[in-house]
Amino acid sequence: MLIYNYLLSGWRNINHNKLFSSINILGLAIGLAAVTLITLFVRSELSYDTFWKNADTLHRSHIVFKIPGRDPFKAVSAPGPLIHALKKDYPQVTQASRVANISPAIMVGAETFIQQVSLVDKDFLTMFDLTSLSGDLTNALNDPHSLILTKELAVKYFGQEDPIGKTLSLDYDYFKRDYKITAVIENSVSNTQLPIKALALIDENDWTDRTSLFAQWFSVNAQLYFQTKNPSDLDHINATFDDFSNRNFPKLPIGGADAKASDFIELSAMNIKDLHLHAVGSGEMTERGNATRVFIFSAIAVLILIIAIINFMNLSTARASQRAKEVSLRKVMGASRSNLIFQFLGESVLVTFIALAISIGLVELALPFYNEVLNKELAINYASTDMLQITGLALIVGILGGLYPAFVLSNFRPATVLKANKSAESSASVKLRAILVVMQFAVSIGLFISTAVVYSQMQYAEKMNPGFNKDNMLLVHRIGLDVVSEKLDMLVKEISKTPQVTAVTWSNETPGNTNENNTMLRLPGMSKDDALLMGQRGVGYDFFATYEIKVLAGRTYQKERNDTPLATAQIREGASRKSSIVINSSAARRLGFNSASDAIGQSIFTSRGNPNENLEAELEVVGVVDDVHFDSLRATIRPEIYNLNATWGQTLSVRFNGNPDTLKTNVEAIWGNAIANIPFRYSFLRQDVADMYKTEQGQAKMFAAFSGLAIFIACLGLYGLANFTATRRTKEIGIRKVMGASVFDIVKLLLWQFSKPVFIANLIAWPIAYWAMSDWLELFVYRIDNSYILLLSAIAGIGALLIAWITVATNSISVAKANPIKALRHE
Amino acid sequence: MLKIQNLSKSYRTENVETTALNNIEIEIKKGEFIAIMGPSGCGKSTLLNTIGMLDSPTSGHYWFNDEDVANYSEAKLANIRKHNIGFIFQSFNLIDELSVRENIELALLYHNIPSAERKERVEKVMQQVGITHRANHMPSQLSGGQQQRVAVARAVVGDQTMILADEPTGNLDTQHGHEVMEMLQELNANGKTIVMVTHSPAHAEFATRTITLLDGQVVEPALKAVS
Repeated sequence: MLIYNYLLSGWRNINHNKLFSSINILGLAIGLAAVTLITLFVRSELSYDTFWKNADTLHRSHIVFKIPGRDPFKAVSAPGPLIHALKKDYPQVTQASRVANISPAIMVGAETFIQQVSLVDKDFLTMFDLTSLSGDLTNALNDPHSLILTKELAVKYFGQEDPIGKTLSLDYDYFKRDYKITAVIENSVSNTQLPIKALALIDENDWTDRTSLFAQWFSVNAQLYFQTKNPSDLDHINATFDDFSNRNFPKLPIGGADAKASDFIELSAMNIKDLHLHAVGSGEMTERGNATRVFIFSAIAVLILIIAIINFMNLSTARASQRAKEVSLRKVMGASRSNLIFQFLGESVLVTFIALAISIGLVELALPFYNEVLNKELAINYASTDMLQITGLALIVGILGGLYPAFVLSNFRPATVLKANKSAESSASVKLRAILVVMQFAVSIGLFISTAVVYSQMQYAEKMNPGFNKDNMLLVHRIGLDVVSEKLDMLVKEISKTPQVTAVTWSNETPGNTNENNTMLRLPGMSKDDALLMGQRGVGYDFFATYEIKVLAGRTYQKERNDTPLATAQIREGASRKSSIVINSSAARRLGFNSASDAIGQSIFTSRGNPNENLEAELEVVGVVDDVHFDSLRATIRPEIYNLNATWGQTLSVRFNGNPDTLKTNVEAIWGNAIANIPFRYSFLRQDVADMYKTEQGQAKMFAAFSGLAIFIACLGLYGLANFTATRRTKEIGIRKVMGASVFDIVKLLLWQFSKPVFIANLIAWPIAYWAMSDWLELFVYRIDNSYILLLSAIAGIGALLIAWITVATNSISVAKANPIKALRHE
Repeated sequence: MLKIQNLSKSYRTENVETTALNNIEIEIKKGEFIAIMGPSGCGKSTLLNTIGMLDSPTSGHYWFNDEDVANYSEAKLANIRKHNIGFIFQSFNLIDELSVRENIELALLYHNIPSAERKERVEKVMQQVGITHRANHMPSQLSGGQQQRVAVARAVVGDQTMILADEPTGNLDTQHGHEVMEMLQELNANGKTIVMVTHSPAHAEFATRTITLLDGQVVEPALKAVS
């Protein structure tokens, strides 16, 4: 019966104070929804590759090349021969497998598909517990003619037919081979760094023409996974990797006779469960997560929750004095303190559960957008323990939020409250509320500054001149395949004829789509040991003109001149002729030339062939071009040379004007006529460049959304509080009005009262935000100045003040306008 | 000083119209000390609030210093009020968060008076009502009599010519009540016009004239003799 009375009085209280209740419930609901969304994200990020049966003992090796005068080159792939040395030197390593992703053309009957295939070693199947849908996995990769498909591909290629035993043909460009399907496995899950579509066995003999893949120590094109006996073996391996490198790596081409491999090479290994969030370096098969990001969003979730709980506590304690009479009467009727605490906690939990129901609705509404921004497939699983966890969270929030008000309210002394008929509130609770408001605003302002900094850096990246024109450029990919390469000349001619097209070129790499490829360079007077390692890219004729890259001195490659470099084979046979080379301005500086024009006409030597061959080609610098940002702003521009690829490239770049779609259709038609079988793959340069910042953009959006929510919840609380304060100060306002204060005087008074906490919040938020965001900006070599953070802080501060003013003013005016005698009479 | 003619005031709630004042005719001369008496609910406070321009009449005329203020806007009334009228309430109505000095100074804050002059005037008026030794205390630390002295000081610090007192002794014991009445009498002797609502016939004796209200109407003096 008592419970019924509590529920009734609780419900009527919610109902009676509609403004307070809706602010409380809405604030909590948004807070809970935000926390649920973030938790879904964080949980997914933490779940990567934890599901493998052997997860504790599966590791991947990583490598860092420390190149003098350059950013270190970090890769999550490993040199091809490392696997053999690892198995030989470490008895702890029980199994190991390389994983090289190749995209051959797959011919199924008359149809051709371009599909990523993972080439692996035989141990792969015993290391990773794949789920077989048909076929026997133990013998599925016994020979280099076996192929395992995922269900997705099996259905795509063979429909409903049983694929086991069927054959298809893979064209690797170097060679062609028929494969027999030996097994079909379950589709790869989304939370793995090892997404598999198709598996075939590595046979090193197949790749003798392309040693960089599996045979070279200084090329890293395949990932290397290995399994140890015990999880702790990883520490031992990491601790002894330097000696291992010195034993196994061949003599380095840099650093002189005394150089050790470990001076320039850093091997390391990481457990498979840590890869998604902690691995560093290029060569990942699928986008990685980021531990900092997970941490930041977890922190935001906690902050939002704190803001929502603070609101809840604030509004409840603020209303405490209004309920003082009820409390006092209940006490007079015999209620004990614990009765009252129980009642108020119950009320707070009741409010939280109403908020919970609304929050689940909000989460379901937000999930489609959320998933799109994050490129994930997150969902609440109602059948699992998800609901239990969410309910638990609500319960904790309800109790936390209700605890303080419950104790304050239950502590009222009935005699004082009933007799004095004055504000029953202690100055301690007023002070606590002020502190809580300061905290709320500090958090909101901090989040706002962070969002603004992330957004500004994105804008900076977007607007910064990369050194080339990224607009109106269509890229046609996969022109390196033999069948396309043969027709490159014709393709270029045909596409050039299209009315919209102004220029066409080809290259091995395009901005946002690069490889790490280096060569040794030395000036004539330099010894080979002092040679400098620099980046190299292969470009076609008209590359610089098509990309609108500024030529600082000299000229670029011209068909009329004999610019084509000697082939390595020709040098082997003793041919010696200077070839032309175009370098960037960083390379000119690194080589020691005082200016771009000083470099023109100078000779440099570049190493060719295998490191042990000692072959060199002599180059004459014919042109120096401006430094351009091929890679993201996170990387420093490297010194690099641009080799002429007169007849071959990976990507065709088409500069055009007018409608992109029309152009794409026309180019696709030309492709379709010239090249049967190979699907047309294209992209626009602008998008490729933007994609380099996809992670940051997703982060910026999430940041913006959640800090917006935090600010909104804080404002809700402020609104309620301002409303309450205005009510509480009715008498004072009345007196002041009788004394001659105008409406404006009164509003000013209330505004000032709420400006103080916002000022203090700024003082707290600024240094923290400055520290955190200058740290974040360090990730970018090219970034906005730190003084921007201060500017944005000032904007955030003024913004917060304005928002607080608007919030307070909207409900102060009506109070200030009220007839003072009403206020004074209510005594 | 003021003249009220044919003045009525009614309040309208959802479906009931209550007449608080009905065709009131009053004239008060400068320097008078008026006591308004009558049973609870007869309209005493409404009349006082109307005189104090805290409330506007529904109909009729109110000449204050020869200006008909009956239909003035709130802002205009506030301006006349703050220069001419001081208020004293039964429940003192001091601001709890301000000290005695600050409470008194409050009445000058809205007058555009320089800070030094404000201080000087506050000190002077505190001396007049004998509260100087409590200048830095908060209202909650004072007795009722002391609180009412502060309220009186606040009512006169702005050099207002008229003081409106709504049952100024209602919350005080006999001795303190008497002290406050003597204070009002002294103010009246110094030239202030005072209009006071009271329940106490003894305190009404301090006044130079008594107006009796019954059901929102001024009762003829003849009836006073009967009661």
